[in-house]
Amino acid sequence: MPKAGTIEAEYEDAFWPNKPIHDQTKCARLAIADGAQESSFSKIWAIQLVRHFCRGQFDASLNLDALREIQRRWHATVRRRPLPWYAEEKILSGAFAAILGLVLEDQESCNGSQGQWHAVAIGDCCLVHMRGEQILARFPLDSSEAFTNRPHLLSSHPAHNNTVIEHLRTIEGGWVRDDSFYLMTDALACWFMREVEEGRRPWSILRDLDTTGGIKPFQHRQQKCAGPLACS
Amino acid sequence: MPYSAEISRANPSCFIFLIDQSGSMADPFGSGESNRTKADSVGDAINRLLQNLVLKCAKEEGVRDFYHVGVIGYGVRVGSAFSGSLAGRELVPISEIANMPARIEERTRKEDDGAGGLIDRSIRLPIWFDPVANGGTPMCQALVQARSVLQGWLAQHPGCFPPIVINITDGEATDGDPNSAADDIRKLSSDDGDALLFNVHLSSHRASAIEFPDADTGLSDKFANLLFQMSSPLPAFMRSIAQQEGYKVSDGTRGFVFNADIVAVIKFLDIGTRPSNLR
Repeated sequence: MPKAGTIEAEYEDAFWPNKPIHDQTKCARLAIADGAQESSFSKIWAIQLVRHFCRGQFDASLNLDALREIQRRWHATVRRRPLPWYAEEKILSGAFAAILGLVLEDQESCNGSQGQWHAVAIGDCCLVHMRGEQILARFPLDSSEAFTNRPHLLSSHPAHNNTVIEHLRTIEGGWVRDDSFYLMTDALACWFMREVEEGRRPWSILRDLDTTGGIKPFQHRQQKCAGPLACS
Repeated sequence: MPYSAEISRANPSCFIFLIDQSGSMADPFGSGESNRTKADSVGDAINRLLQNLVLKCAKEEGVRDFYHVGVIGYGVRVGSAFSGSLAGRELVPISEIANMPARIEERTRKEDDGAGGLIDRSIRLPIWFDPVANGGTPMCQALVQARSVLQGWLAQHPGCFPPIVINITDGEATDGDPNSAADDIRKLSSDDGDALLFNVHLSSHRASAIEFPDADTGLSDKFANLLFQMSSPLPAFMRSIAQQEGYKVSDGTRGFVFNADIVAVIKFLDIGTRPSNLR
């Protein structure tokens, strides 16, 4: 959902896949990304990143060479038409986005009842793994105080990614049938964690959402929260 | 909590730049080792400030009006220093400033290529102001005029992030002691906090650059001391960003620079997520 004060077309988050995953899938890859407000063409960059992850081209060991291919594609896309001086200058700075990718793998012989998962993140998009009413993992940030307006993000400009490996976070665990994974961009994740810290059950609000037509009803209740509920 | 209002198109904030255009600005800048005058440095400073403010608000579809900007020149006369189609305007939405520079110059800039080397990048540099050096230094009048403009703005935008005034000068006011007029600006406030007055002192003295000091020790002349005293302390959130940008700060850190660049102040503004790896 777009931030308060912005319109739908200015929404800079991205998620993939954009359709429900088939029950029989042995390995599911899901990702969300959040384009930085201070950079331009972030939406294009965020979309490219989530697709890149879900095609299996980006994992716990970030391949900067593979990343260069989508960086080239981003440049080609944004330079399709003449731009005013400020847009040109913003292209030189590059686009920036936080990304979180989750891989769910079915364990052989368990017939879809359990398996392993692993996730990778750069920036402040977050994952929460739940079993029933119990939170099993919060990743990569684990408290509302950990969120800032200055996260290290993945850039479309190679020069800004010189130290990105130091900021890459990974996690792994096991899942069983009926577990839930919440993938959230920063504002929603921060709200979720604050609710937990104050003894409330934010997951019950998220579970009750009707996401079939987007999550606008939730937007009215939580104007300060941004980002899609990618999956659960 | 003060200085926490969201800056948006629905709730924009306001900048006023005061530019010293007096005859003394024709004196050499710094140690005089280059041919640059203080007026040249003022021209660079205001052009870079406006450029960075525009970039702060620029998105692919255009420039979002998070700020309205005024530029008041003081020298032979005191008043709006905009030229061309913006001439005479008091406060202009930042998108109009972005789209109406006096001219755009082509320059080449060295940039990191991400693979350990440097490459030449051609960039377009907008110019809004050319150096002017003529007449006295009616800084008090300029501060009074800025206050009047801000009073009008605040009446219409009572909930805005507090306005910021940046005064770029060599400090030698010729129409009295500017302390009281500066104080009057700092006493203006929105619901979100007091207006901020920052000063850039460009001197002919051979002295090291000083950025965002927390005391007047080490300042080389009485004008620098005066401008330091006139400058607002940086609010806590700005100090926090300044620290992340590598500046040494304390509770007493003020929005003042001596023979240095104040463009960093634009980075201290908070309009949304700013990547820590964007320099």
